[in-house]
Amino acid sequence: MLRYVGQRLLLMIPTLVAISVIIFVIIQLPPGNYLESYIAELQAQGESVDPQKIAFLRKEYGLDKPLIEQYLYWVWGMLHGDFGYSFEFNLPVTKVIGDRMLLTIGVSFATIVFTWAVAFPIGIYSATHQYSWGDYGLSLLGFLGIAVPNFMLALVMMYLANVLFGTSIGGLMSPEYIGKPWTFAKAMSVLEHSWIPVIVIGTSGTAGMVRKLRANLLDELQKQYVVTARAKGLPPGKVLFKYPLRMALNFFISDIGSILPHIISGTEITAVVLSLPTAGPMLLNALKSQDMYLAGSFLMFLAFMIVVGVLVSDLALAVLDPRIRLQGGVAR
Amino acid sequence: MKRRCAGCFVGLAAALLLAAAVGAEEPPALAGDVAAGKLPQLAERLPRTPRVVEVKRADWTPGRYGGEMRFLMAKDRDIRMMVVYGYSRLVGYDEHLQLVPDILERIDIEGGRVFTLHLRPGHRWSDGEPFTAADFRYFWEDVANNKELSPFGLPQALLVRNRGPRVDVLNDTTVRYSWDDPNPQFVAALAAPSPLYIYRPAHYLRQFHAKYIGPEKAGAQAKAAGSRSWAGLHQKKDDQYRFDNPDLPTLEPWVNTTPLPSTRFVLVRNPYFHRVDGAGRQLPYIDRVIVNISDDKLIPAKAGAGDVDLQARYLRFDNYTFLRQNERRNNFRVRLWEKVLGSQMALYPNLNVDDPEWRPLMRDVRFRRALSLAINRHEINEVVYFGLGKEAGNTVLPRSPLYRPEFATAWTKFDPKEANGLLDAIGLTKRDARGIRLLPDGRPMELIVDTSGESTEETDVLELLRDNWRRIGIALFSRPSQREVFRKRVFSGKAMMSVWTGLNNGIPTPEMSPLELAPTTQDQLQWPMWGQNFENNGTGGEVPALPDVVELVRLFDAWRVSATDAERERIWLRMLEIHAQQVYSIGIVTRALQPVVVQNALHNVPADGIYSWDPGAYFGMYHVDTFWIDPKERP
Repeated sequence: MLRYVGQRLLLMIPTLVAISVIIFVIIQLPPGNYLESYIAELQAQGESVDPQKIAFLRKEYGLDKPLIEQYLYWVWGMLHGDFGYSFEFNLPVTKVIGDRMLLTIGVSFATIVFTWAVAFPIGIYSATHQYSWGDYGLSLLGFLGIAVPNFMLALVMMYLANVLFGTSIGGLMSPEYIGKPWTFAKAMSVLEHSWIPVIVIGTSGTAGMVRKLRANLLDELQKQYVVTARAKGLPPGKVLFKYPLRMALNFFISDIGSILPHIISGTEITAVVLSLPTAGPMLLNALKSQDMYLAGSFLMFLAFMIVVGVLVSDLALAVLDPRIRLQGGVAR
Repeated sequence: MKRRCAGCFVGLAAALLLAAAVGAEEPPALAGDVAAGKLPQLAERLPRTPRVVEVKRADWTPGRYGGEMRFLMAKDRDIRMMVVYGYSRLVGYDEHLQLVPDILERIDIEGGRVFTLHLRPGHRWSDGEPFTAADFRYFWEDVANNKELSPFGLPQALLVRNRGPRVDVLNDTTVRYSWDDPNPQFVAALAAPSPLYIYRPAHYLRQFHAKYIGPEKAGAQAKAAGSRSWAGLHQKKDDQYRFDNPDLPTLEPWVNTTPLPSTRFVLVRNPYFHRVDGAGRQLPYIDRVIVNISDDKLIPAKAGAGDVDLQARYLRFDNYTFLRQNERRNNFRVRLWEKVLGSQMALYPNLNVDDPEWRPLMRDVRFRRALSLAINRHEINEVVYFGLGKEAGNTVLPRSPLYRPEFATAWTKFDPKEANGLLDAIGLTKRDARGIRLLPDGRPMELIVDTSGESTEETDVLELLRDNWRRIGIALFSRPSQREVFRKRVFSGKAMMSVWTGLNNGIPTPEMSPLELAPTTQDQLQWPMWGQNFENNGTGGEVPALPDVVELVRLFDAWRVSATDAERERIWLRMLEIHAQQVYSIGIVTRALQPVVVQNALHNVPADGIYSWDPGAYFGMYHVDTFWIDPKERP
């Protein structure tokens, strides 16, 4: 087991190196660089740019160097905990991202809790009452949740919240609280604004999870040990929760790999529509304006979370389910 | 020492007299600090002769102090718009586009080449330090002529025939810039919305400058801040236009207090601001300005929900009906201001296209005229612009003293017959089965127009154009891309023709630079290679090949060293005439309108205005510092 973990950890190094190359290349693929998109943006608004200043910035940002040198500079910095410099904000990347992380994690965490809280009872109900009216009704709702695009739901709910409750459009709190210390009123304002993103981002995840739980649980419920347990007179609640539900949770553990990066990045498009002060829109803007170190370091961080998440979920599965455990070197 | 104090005393007495004479009151927001001794009295904070702002407009009223004004912006970086709206410049344009001294008390110009700038004695930076000729000296000696801070030389506007000025600091409040030849760009650059800053808050910036703290310390400091060199750190701390450094002293009406990144910026009044109203009361009236950052596509919706007090940026004409609908519910009014683009939308034939068959055609004036004549501008105006536009070529607007009706109407009458005749005369007589004319090498004339893909407006107009040009045997295809790709394609000659807005400044006066009319930068869509050639002083790009374009360059060079307004006007008119006759860009409609959302509680915003970057600084020339808020009307 220890050897397996060691191997997996070593394997992460070439994976991350490959990812960093791909990220860097893809960010460089569109024509031009940050300064050129900056100039184009100013000109689109009719503003003029001083060529001397641009020349100075090009040198200062190192954009006049060959690509390979820029790449090595970035990677070398990351190894030392320096994630580069955001051109857009004129700040080191860590300072730019830092502020937004707390709110992002907050929103994502609330969303995940919401997803679980809704999906579990519904999934269990659907599986135990297969093909009942309740199952059909909830499945229909679930499919609607998957099918309606998040951004549209977001727009509709935002409009209704503004017209019906007078909630200010977009954002995670009323503007007057931004940048103020936390007070009761500010917390209430956050609660008033955060239910929309939580529901919107949550719906599609909820629906997916309901279907997965239902399918897995159905598989288990038909197995012989369940029949035996029932025949022996175990109470129905215990039959359900003690064995089949635990088995059906495997998919859930393997999901951790994808949940970790999700917590960090949030859901970009919804966050943009709702203009949430989370990390998603910042990543999108960084990519659009070719703010390459900000975008690159951000993506690198997400990639790292995925790699770690997958490892964690693999290990957790092995711990939880004896059938998956590796015996000696057989599995290789 | 004694003399200085006596001077102080005299100045103080004079200021007190002035204040007493007009009965100036302390802005209530500052009264507490003044009473507590944290701030000096009003008379000591103002320059000895403050700038008196007297707006002569029927609906203008003296304001009431207090309140906050909210704006919406799409990016943190947009905080620079507050420097544009604040519009404190050495000299600036007033509502009638006349240049008036603002930060300066007076500017004396001799022969268009010697500029003597007189500062206002007693003027202070927002942190209370004196603003003097030393700040000009710091810029000239330690920034502009410092090899590390300005490795690429002086700003363009300071160069005449590639030679810089002579700068003399005559005394504490007088600075002289002189050139050997006239420099008409200089004053316009000082008044620009993104101005040429020839002064710096020296007392603040010295702490980053290697000359003052030694290279070792400067280097270590830069390294700690994550910059590559001390020059980088200095540059970052020093940007008066970016407005992203709350510690940098400013001369603007409001001071930014929020560092980047943020989704909400708070600006507070500058207690040392140099302008007063007619009654001697210090401006601005409004205490705080709030800038909230939101997604640009959400801004019209938020404006409609009443989340702003004044907004034009990121509102488009097609938001107008939605905004009107919400006027009453959310207590605001939507005004339509006039944009000053030479043309709302113009087509640019690429004279540097790399296709050997198309290039001579694009350079043939008959071809360009035929394209222009074949456009049914009236139809486009009715269909796309609700008939609110004005059908005209891409030239200056009637507000400009340089406007001539014949420039606006040249080659714009819808006349497919004459257009066909012109094309036949070129020799493009063969047609294929669809009725499309054939190029000399036998290919059908399929003209691809590049767009930057930013608005559906462009593609809508091109759809209508497709039918128009079909009638003269030319097939039009549009190719939407993305802004940088678009520019790259134009510059490399891959794009045959492109769509963009017309002249940026449609209301020029003779003393403004006719830069846009001659090939001067590679960003110009009709002749990028020729522009690059000029930009790089004759290296790179291509030398202009058409006699009329060569004349434009010659005229522009003549303007750059012109001494009198009459001479400049003559040059401008000749350049505009060449453009009108040669149709280097094909304008479609002009007089586009900009919706401006104004909260009912906000006063002194003109009902009709022009929305212009330069000259005008958008709201800047209407004196945002004299806008005021009536708390009773706040919902």
